[in-house]
Amino acid sequence: MERPPEEDPPDTDGTPSLEERQRAAGRLPGDRYVRIVRPADFRRGRGGIYVATDKATEPETALGRLYDRARRILFGRPIVTEAEHEERLTKRTGLAILASDNISSSAYATEEAMRVLAIAGAGALALTMPIALAVVGVLAIVVLSESRVIRAYPQGGGSYAVAKENIGTLAGLIAAAALLIDYVLTVSVSTAAGVAAVSSFVPELHDDRVIWGILVIAILTVGNLRGIREAGVIFAAPTYLYMLALFGLIAFGLFRVLTGDMPTPAQPPQPFPAEGTELLGVLLILRAFSSGAVGLTGSEAIANGTPSFKKPEAKNAVTTLVLMGTVFATIFLGLTFLATRIGVVPDLHEAETLNSVLTRSLVGDGPYWAIVQIATAVILLLAANTGFTGFPRLASVLADDRFMPRQFSFRGERLAFSVGIVSLAALAGFILWSFEGSVTQLIPLYTIGVFLAFTLSQSGLVLRWWRLRPRGWQLSMVINVVGAAVTGVTLVVVATTKFLLGAWMVLLVLPLLVLMLYAIHRHYRSVADALTLESLDHPMPRLIPPHVIVPIARLDRAAVGALAFARSISPNVQAVHIATSEASARQFRERWARWTGKDATDGAREIPMHVIASSYRSLIQPLLSYIDDIDERDPRPVTIVLAEFVPHHWWELVLHSQTALRLRAALLFRPNTIVIDVPYHFKDAAGLDAHTKDRG
Amino acid sequence: MPWKKILVPVKGTAVDPDVVRLAITIGKPSKAQITAIHVIEVRWNLALDAVLEDELDRGEELLANAAKVGEQAGGTLLTELLQAREAAAAIVDTARAQGTDLILLGMPYRTRLGKVYVGRTVQDVYVTAPCSVLAYRQEEPK
Repeated sequence: MERPPEEDPPDTDGTPSLEERQRAAGRLPGDRYVRIVRPADFRRGRGGIYVATDKATEPETALGRLYDRARRILFGRPIVTEAEHEERLTKRTGLAILASDNISSSAYATEEAMRVLAIAGAGALALTMPIALAVVGVLAIVVLSESRVIRAYPQGGGSYAVAKENIGTLAGLIAAAALLIDYVLTVSVSTAAGVAAVSSFVPELHDDRVIWGILVIAILTVGNLRGIREAGVIFAAPTYLYMLALFGLIAFGLFRVLTGDMPTPAQPPQPFPAEGTELLGVLLILRAFSSGAVGLTGSEAIANGTPSFKKPEAKNAVTTLVLMGTVFATIFLGLTFLATRIGVVPDLHEAETLNSVLTRSLVGDGPYWAIVQIATAVILLLAANTGFTGFPRLASVLADDRFMPRQFSFRGERLAFSVGIVSLAALAGFILWSFEGSVTQLIPLYTIGVFLAFTLSQSGLVLRWWRLRPRGWQLSMVINVVGAAVTGVTLVVVATTKFLLGAWMVLLVLPLLVLMLYAIHRHYRSVADALTLESLDHPMPRLIPPHVIVPIARLDRAAVGALAFARSISPNVQAVHIATSEASARQFRERWARWTGKDATDGAREIPMHVIASSYRSLIQPLLSYIDDIDERDPRPVTIVLAEFVPHHWWELVLHSQTALRLRAALLFRPNTIVIDVPYHFKDAAGLDAHTKDRG
Repeated sequence: MPWKKILVPVKGTAVDPDVVRLAITIGKPSKAQITAIHVIEVRWNLALDAVLEDELDRGEELLANAAKVGEQAGGTLLTELLQAREAAAAIVDTARAQGTDLILLGMPYRTRLGKVYVGRTVQDVYVTAPCSVLAYRQEEPK
């Protein structure tokens, strides 16, 4: 058989450059000029670096372009890194994005406290206002203390950073784990509450509340993946609508009450009975307080998200925090005052919310009642957004410190922490589904994390002021001591009163999560220890040419290409063929002998071939055993060169056995092994034919 | 007149963005191909294809800015980076090679002792261009 002569390798002149210089003749001899042809995908940046242009990120296939277009419609155009400052929050959008959780809890905090007190009878409801005042008092202390956290740690990180730096890593991780749990629960609880509020209008939705909840989480996920600025635009309007509607309602209610025009209390479908079923005791009062304390969640998100604000970050964050506290306190106290003065009672079976009953008492069931209810439903749905802002940012801080997978610190095309957002959505969706979308079942799990984090951060700040003693440290220390004591007591009350109702789950998951964060950190530390260069003087080791094994399924162009490549990197090349029968082994040997016969090039003749017959027709396992045996006899890393046939279309992949892919997967974790893929593209065949013909 | 190929030399003067925007305005109706060009003038004591890192960086930056201004004005710009002894000759030769039918020049000028001075490149392009030349005159900021 006459074979074409062996091809000479093409002439190459070192590493190819990204720029090409074309000399061109001008009109006159002295007018010669040089045209600098630059790649379309990159442009030269300052300091000898190349910057990838938009074209470099454009997909090349039609399917890729279609996917890219769909992604842009859904998530928007990518944002350049330099535009990060434009993505920051103003006080106005910050209040909507970071405080919606806290502000929205004013929609149910009064009712939650009243529902506990009502167990002891209608008379016990008189204690709602003192409890509301206590909650607001705690909130004032929390706001004051958190403003100290923001000023001390404007780079963000919130309770985690404060506790880690001042108390220790363990305390920091406990705070972080507590907050991560709470952010997930914020999303689940707020979504469940929002869907419940909507299903009060449309009872048909009640049966499918889990599906609707997951749909809401999906919408919030997309909104947040579009970037924080757009999320602010989306979420600002409902937050401000809620505030205006409730301020208007409270102002009107106060006007009527103070002018003596006391409205008649409306009745819910099934009001709590006037006679209680339990005696009013300290435990019941504390339970009522811990239920009302749900309104304290959310302020941590502002401290944690301080770097998201426009400059001056700390000042803007503190202003937003104070605004948040003021808005919550006004609405919560206003609603509680009116509810207790007018004498409305909650519904026994949660068929109608207390706020709805109160609004009907004040303005009837006309358009204003509808506006208040719609605004409440929407803000409850959007309150979940606080979790979407807090979780990814905290996860990114933890990832930067190597306590969470590094992917959590990567910003997506829209400068959002995409991995954190998607992970949060998945976790919150799972919890929502596990608890069948029930607010009542989810509420006991809530708020423990946030109080634990508050207590740790306040304690951390106390230690900080004591250690550093900056100007005015005494006042800051007193504020944080009071903050730590109050939030610590609240934590004990909440954990004790809600323990059997479900808080035990959080207390069980928390240490497990801390252990997981530690384990991740240990892994990264050991990897860093193994990979870090001791110094930049570390020389590049000199390697001798490797021992290369080329598994060959059949002697074809793909195999020849792989053998040629193997020969180009080492003179020590070994071919191996696994035959499924002795007959096919003989056949292969004959073909190989013909190919490496007298007409063969030196390169081909020098490649030894081992043919192994596999009696059980297994391909991968005998090959792995063969590689093990070779590896034992040679100290060099074993190098496997795989010939991989790549069909023209992706869907043609199913028509091929993908042995190379399976082998690559099997070798992925094998130590001392280098795997090199030599793809053979289907469209190359026509080119090779033409080439061979030309030579013939 | 519907121009099909417009060449816009950019040099880093304050007039550049206005010239690019004008080119987009002029070229849009006829869907003209607009090319922003920057010529690095190489001193005679250096080889013509010497790698002048700082000048290359600056040239790329000018062209990237021109492309950005063009995009903001609703058009697309091609860019060309050249090295030559004299910018005017390279601009004119490129115009000839590309079949350009309009060179749109930014013409920053200074007034000294009551007389208006324009640069040598503008004058040479005016005299030797094989196509129409439009000059956008604007006084250089003091």
